[in-house]
Parts: sequence; structure tokens; C-alpha cells
Amino acid sequence: MKKVTLFLFIFSLFFIMKPEKNMAAENLQQRIDSMKEGAVVKLQDRTYEGNLVIRKSMTIIGSKNTVIKGNGHGNVISIKAPHVKLSHLTVEHSSMSRDSEEEYAAIKVYTNGNTIDHIKIRNSFHGIYLSQAHHNTISDNEIHGMGKGEIAGQGNGLQIYYSNHNLLSHNTIEGTRDGMFFTYANNNKIDENHISNTRYGLHYMYSDQNTFKNNIFTMNIGGAAIMNSNHLTLTKNQFIFNYGNQSFGLLLLQANDNHIENNIFYMNQRGIYLDQATRNLFQKNKIMQNQIGIELWASSNQQTFTQNQIVENNFPAIAVAGQGTGNAWSKNGKGNDWGSSFPLTDLNQDGIGDFPVTYQSSLHQLIEDQELTSLFLKSPAITIYEKMNALLGHNEKMFTDRYPLVTKTKSHLPLYIVIVLIGLALLILIKGRHRLCITFGRNGKKI
Amino acid sequence: MHYIWKEWKENLRGKGLWLSLSIIALISVSILFRSTALSFDKGFYVLLINLFDSLIYFIPILCLFIGAFSIFQEKEQKTLIMLLTKKDNYQSFLWKKSLALYTIVLAPLLAWFFVYLAFLKFNFVIDGKGYLVFVLSIALLAIVFLQMGACIGSFCRSRMQIVGAAVFVWFYFFFMHDFILLSVLPNVSADNVIWFSLAYFLNPLEAVRMFLETGMGVYSFGHMSNLLQAFMWTKPAYFLIGNLAFWLIVSYLIAILFHRKEGNE
Repeated sequence: MKKVTLFLFIFSLFFIMKPEKNMAAENLQQRIDSMKEGAVVKLQDRTYEGNLVIRKSMTIIGSKNTVIKGNGHGNVISIKAPHVKLSHLTVEHSSMSRDSEEEYAAIKVYTNGNTIDHIKIRNSFHGIYLSQAHHNTISDNEIHGMGKGEIAGQGNGLQIYYSNHNLLSHNTIEGTRDGMFFTYANNNKIDENHISNTRYGLHYMYSDQNTFKNNIFTMNIGGAAIMNSNHLTLTKNQFIFNYGNQSFGLLLLQANDNHIENNIFYMNQRGIYLDQATRNLFQKNKIMQNQIGIELWASSNQQTFTQNQIVENNFPAIAVAGQGTGNAWSKNGKGNDWGSSFPLTDLNQDGIGDFPVTYQSSLHQLIEDQELTSLFLKSPAITIYEKMNALLGHNEKMFTDRYPLVTKTKSHLPLYIVIVLIGLALLILIKGRHRLCITFGRNGKKI
Repeated sequence: MHYIWKEWKENLRGKGLWLSLSIIALISVSILFRSTALSFDKGFYVLLINLFDSLIYFIPILCLFIGAFSIFQEKEQKTLIMLLTKKDNYQSFLWKKSLALYTIVLAPLLAWFFVYLAFLKFNFVIDGKGYLVFVLSIALLAIVFLQMGACIGSFCRSRMQIVGAAVFVWFYFFFMHDFILLSVLPNVSADNVIWFSLAYFLNPLEAVRMFLETGMGVYSFGHMSNLLQAFMWTKPAYFLIGNLAFWLIVSYLIAILFHRKEGNE
């Protein structure tokens, strides 16, 4: 009887201690360690306890419900061998510590030539961290942060640190501190990523010669903040609805010789914000319905704006603290399309307006002096403020486009609305021409 | 209930309410047509913000007129005198009349935006919470200007006075209030920013707009400077509640204190 009791007691300890957890962790790490170079590890639909360190080139493939859960200390997965491939995993619970020697991530890559795709990341400080790692492919991953309410306590979706020649594509990043943060990272290619609800969708420091194409930045505090970085190419990206206080679609700060072409800047507080930036080319971009289309500080020189569509912004372009030197609003005889705000004639039908477009405003002084000015950018009162200052001679020239583009916009809808409105008005007039007073009252009484 | 029924029947006979609602419906549909091109991400929010920016041109002035003429016709038809000589005093009359106005204006307005939601579903991914915030914003905007309209109708003696007063109120909130604030903006500092904030949010258009944009999550106050933090010393929802309470009470009190029982016409 004693033996049976002792057996049952020892057996029950297994249930209490849940040894399978540690065994699973040891098993997966042991299993990875025991694999040969180039092996393929297929994981089941279950939760594996991390953390893991991969020291051999291999492929790890999960399935829909495969989760690697970190222990909350350090990186969940550290890749320390080249040519590792991770795919179809959910990775969570890295260290969130900001006091440690290094910043942790769900997946931290220290080596070259790795491929990380179809990974879901949550509850981690950084999402995927490339640390001096080159020629990696990071694609089709979903990284979820903790939202805008928590900026300082979390890291970035993709952290690219001293890493070159990487391809980052088709990733979805939401609610992290910065969507993608680059520092000292050159010659990377960033395509078709979708970044929303972050501080800066893209944050760039000391990184040159990278290309961005077809990325979408929405509802961030700032779409893309490019600082101290040169020779970047941004094409066909969308900067939409970066709308908050002091927000912008694209900020260039001490960034030079960048090529920004065919992008959409739509409904941002400021579409493009330039400060201490030089020799940047803005070509064929659509800058529409922003509160300020282009905010250009005096420290920014030699910008070229050509063939852009800069329309329906509350303020098309504001030069703050004076005009920079050498800024050109046309190139090779082609200026920009300023929309219906600047009516133009084109008698010779060459697509270029017959006279230059000059825009004057007094808002620059308020913007320079008082940050709360941004609260009034959508107010109808600002129009009166501008008119009043124009009368008093306080306006200053913001830009002159010598070769403004004339575009014929097809807009049938306003005509349709006008017809309907006229029809409605006629109906009321005809039907009730002797009793108009009952429209707003009179209790239906004829007069 | 009698007041609501009476208001309903009067508005059925008159065309003011239906004309106003048809304008709102027309604007909503035209914005929807324009926004079908917004198939890109967040198009739903873009549409609602654009729609709100268009509707604030119309809803305040329409509600001012509806509210004012509704009260004024009670004077014209001598029904006000009749009501007041029975059991009602002006306070209770105005209270019941205001409730009736809210009901009669908001019911078709909300019904329209419910129908409108069905159209939206064909084009966008719907955020239910965002849409609720939008509809609530429109409803609150209508309520505050209806009450102001009722106030105008209470103290005005003629239709021309009503038109003048309504246009003045609309013009003030639409242009003058912010213009005055813009004029004092260079003098705003950390010491007086709270007063500036109070004055800013005294404008129902700004209070509702801020509530809408933050409520939908499109306007962020992240990384605020000290000045801005002092400016936004409470949540936008509280600013809006304060604004509503202030204008509803002030309009009600002015209407009671300065009301006239009969019009000239």
C-alpha cells in the first residue's frame, strides 16, 4: 500500500510541475542543435517555448498555429548562422527591457543571407532586428505593436542597424514605435510594405542609397522621417492620412540629393516638410488635400519641384522663416499643376500656362512663431485672415512657378450636382411660388 | 409627446426640414461618388472626414433656421399665447419644444445615415465605432445649433430679424470666432494657454471636429510639446460635453429671459 501511495505521489508531481513545458523548450532547442547544416525542421500546430538560438544554416517551417513563445528575457529567436530560413510562425513575448545592454526583438538576425517570411509577431520590443546583417530577405510578415498610446515602451517593427543590401517587402506593420527604423544601413530595397498607426512609418538615420517603392504609410504621426540620409529613391509610395498634430507625409531633415517621384501625398497635415535639406528632386508626385502641401523652411535650398500635381491643399506651399536659395518650381520649362486655385490660360495650347503662378501668404509668420497655428489650418477663418493680411500688405511671396502646367480635369459630378440642385430649386419655386413662406414655418398656411 | 407629434405634422406640411435633409443627403451621396476612387487604405476615414468638412457648412445654418422658425411660427399663429395661458409657462414650453425639435430633426437624419451606411458597405471596410462617432458628432452639432435657433426664434420679432440673427450666429462661429483667436495667437504662452484652450473649444465646430477626429483615431496627440499638452488639458470628449452644456444652457437661459410672446408678422 505504501509503495502504491508513494508511486501515486511521485506520479502526481508530474502534473503539478508541468515538466512538459521545459521539455518542449529543451526539445526544440536540442532538436535544432542536433540538426545538420541545411536541415529542414517542420513544427507542429502548437506552442513551443523559447528562447531559441539558431547556430546552423537550416529551414524552420511552422504552420497556421505554430507559436514560439519567448520567456520574456532576451530575444525570442536569435539567428547566428547564415542562410537560415524561417517561415509560417507566430513569435511572441521578447524582453521589453529598456535597461539592458542590448535592445531585444522577437527575431534578431546577426548573419547574412537569411530569409524570414510569413511570420506573425506580437508582444515584443522590436519585431525583426537586423544587426550588422546583410543580404537578407524579410517579406510577408505581420508585426503588431501596442498602439500609439505606448510609444516609448516599445520598439520598432523592423530595426535595420548597420545592415546593407537587404530586401524588405510585403510586410504589414501596425502600432509599433516606428514602422521601420534604419540607422547606418545602405543599399537596401524596401517594397510594398504597409505601415500604419506608428510614430514614424519610416524613420531614417544616416542611411544612404536605399530605394522605396510602392509602400503605404497611413495614420502615422509622421509618414516617413528621413534624416541625415542621402541619395534615396522614393517612388510610387502612398503617404495617406498622417493627420495628427504636427504630422507630415514625408519629412526630409538634413537629407540631400534624394529623388522623390510618383508618390501620393494625400490628406496629411503637411504633405512634404523640408528642413535643412538640399538638392532634392520632387517629380510627378500627387500632393492633394493636405492642410499644407509643402512646408519649406529657409534652411532648405536647391529643391526642384517639377510636374507635380499640387491641388486642393488648404495651402499649396509655405516658405517659413524666409526663402531658401536656389529652390526651383520648374525644370526644363515644366512647372507644376496647381489646380483650379490658380486659373490659367493656355492660348498656344502647349500645356504650359501663359503666365507664371505666384502664391502669396502671411501664414508663414504664424507657423514660425506659434505651434498652435496647426489647430486652425482647417478653419474657414484662416481664409479671412489671409485676405485681411493681403489687404494690409503683410503677405509675402511663397513661390513663383514660371511654367505652371495646365491640366484639363474631367469633373462631371459637380455639373451633375448643379443640375440636380437647380432642378430642386425650380421644383420648389414652381410648386410653391405663392406659398414660399411655408418652407420654413407658417404651418402650411397659404398667404 | 404632443409637441413631438405637432412638430412632426408641421414639418410634414412645410418643406424646410425636407429641403434641409435633401441637401444633406445630396452632399453625402456626392461625396460618396467622389470617394469611390479612394479604394486605397483608410478610404472610409477619408470619406467621413471629407463628409464632415462639407456638412459643417450646412448643418449649423439649417438647424439655426429650423429651430428659429419653429418657435417663431408658434408666435405667428398665436398658438404660443394659447399654450402659455393654459398650463405651460415659457420654460416648460421651450423645454418641450426643444425636445420635439431634436426628435424631429434627428430622427430622419439618423435614419438617413443608417441607410447611408449600407451604401458605404459596398465600397469600404466599415469601422463601426468610427461611424458611430461620426453620427454622434453630426447629431450633437445639430442639437447645439437647433437650441441656438430656438433661442433666436424666442427673442426675434420678425422673420427678417431671424434671418439676420441666424446668419450672424453662423458667421460668428464659422469665421469670426477663429479669426479673433488667430489674432491673439502670437500672444499665447504657457501662462495663458488654458484660457486660449477654453476659448478655442467654445466654438462648437472646433469642439465637435476635435471629438470626431480623435474619436475615429485619425488625429493623434502623440509627442505633444509642453504648450500643446497644456492646451489639451482634458480629453476632447470632455471639451465637447462642456461646450454642449455651455451653449445649451446659455441658449435656453437667453431664450427664457428675452423671449417675446408675439411677433410683428
